[in-house]
Amino acid sequence: MTTGLVGLAVIHNPHERLRILYTKILGSLQAMPQDAAYRKYTEQLINQRFNHVKAEPDVEKLEKKINCGQIEEVIAQAETELALSRKMTEWKPWEPLLEEAPANQWKWPI
Amino acid sequence: MAASLVRFVRNGFGRSLNVARQSAAIVQTRTTTTETRPTVRPKDPVTHTQLSEFGEYIAEILPKYVQQVQVTCFNELELMIHPEGIIPVLTFLKDHTNAQFHNMTDLTAVDVPTRQYRFEIVYNMLSLRYNSRIRVKTYTDELSPLDSSVPVHQAADWYEREIWDMFGVFFANHPDLRRILTDYGFEGHPFRKDFPLSGYVEVRYDDEVKRVVAEPVELAQEFRKFDLNSPWEAFPAYREPKDAPKLESGDKPAK
Repeated sequence: MTTGLVGLAVIHNPHERLRILYTKILGSLQAMPQDAAYRKYTEQLINQRFNHVKAEPDVEKLEKKINCGQIEEVIAQAETELALSRKMTEWKPWEPLLEEAPANQWKWPI
Repeated sequence: MAASLVRFVRNGFGRSLNVARQSAAIVQTRTTTTETRPTVRPKDPVTHTQLSEFGEYIAEILPKYVQQVQVTCFNELELMIHPEGIIPVLTFLKDHTNAQFHNMTDLTAVDVPTRQYRFEIVYNMLSLRYNSRIRVKTYTDELSPLDSSVPVHQAADWYEREIWDMFGVFFANHPDLRRILTDYGFEGHPFRKDFPLSGYVEVRYDDEVKRVVAEPVELAQEFRKFDLNSPWEAFPAYREPKDAPKLESGDKPAK
C-alpha cells in the first residue's frame, strides 16, 4: 500500500479525517459575513466534497468522484483550506478596496 | 482543466475590470475558415474565457487587494494588487482548493522611473494540479518596504535578495536580506534605469598595495548615443488622441 508520492503516507481512515476537517472548515467559515464571496464559494465546494465523502464508502470511487488526485492529497488540500479560512477571518478580504493605484501605474506601454 | 473549477455568477461588483483588454494585439478580421495565415499565432478563445472567468472569481473573493485583472493576448492571467495584500493574496493562491498555485516560478522587479511608484514587483506562480499559471503584480518606490513572501513560498528567498541587491527594494521580515550578485563593497543598485551601463567604478590589481582596487571608470571611447527610433509607428493599436486646445464657452479664438 503506497501513495506513489514521496513523503505522503497512506491514510487508513480517510473518511473520518475528511469528515472532521470539513466540519472544522465549515465551522470556521461561519465567522465570516454571509455575503462574503470566499464563504459562498468555499461552502459550496466543501459541501460538494463532503456529500461525496458521506455517500461513497469506497476509497477508489471516492477519489474518482472528487477528481482531485489521491485521497491523501485531498486531505492535504482540506488541511490547507482550513488554515486559509482561519487566516481569512483575520484578513477580511471581502471589504472594499484599500486604495486605488495611482493614475498611470498599470498603464502599458507607458 | 479539472472539473472542480467552480462556476459563478458574473455580475458587476462596483468596479470595472479590464478583463477584455488585450495588449499589443493586431485585430484580424477573417471570415473564411481555410488557413490563409499559418505563421500567425492562432487565437484560443476557450482558454481566454476560462482564464478571464478565473480572474473574475479571484477578484470577487479578494476585492480588498485586487485593483485590476487582465488576460494578455498570449492567454496569461495577470492580477494587479495593492502592496498591503501580498501575503494574503499569495497565501490564498497557494492554499485555496480551486487555485493551488503551490509553485512560485519567478519573482522579479521592473523599473519604470516615470511612475510615482517606480518599481513593479512581479510574482509568477504555477499550479501543477490545474496546469495553470498566474502572474501577480504589486508596486513600490525606493523607500517603502514590502512584506517578504518567504513565509508563504521558500523559493522567494534568493529572488528577494536579488531584487534588494539590483533594485534596492527592501523586504520586511525576510530571514536574510543581503547582497547576492554584486561585489562585497559595491555601492548602487545596478538594474535601476538611472544606473549607467558601464557603472561608476572599475577594478584593477594594483602591484604597490598588492590587492584589487576600485577606481572611477575610464572608458577608452566616449559614450555614443544612437537614436533607435524607427520611422514606422510602433503600436498602431495604442494611438493616443492628441488633445486639441479647448476653448471655454464665450471665448473667441485668438486671431
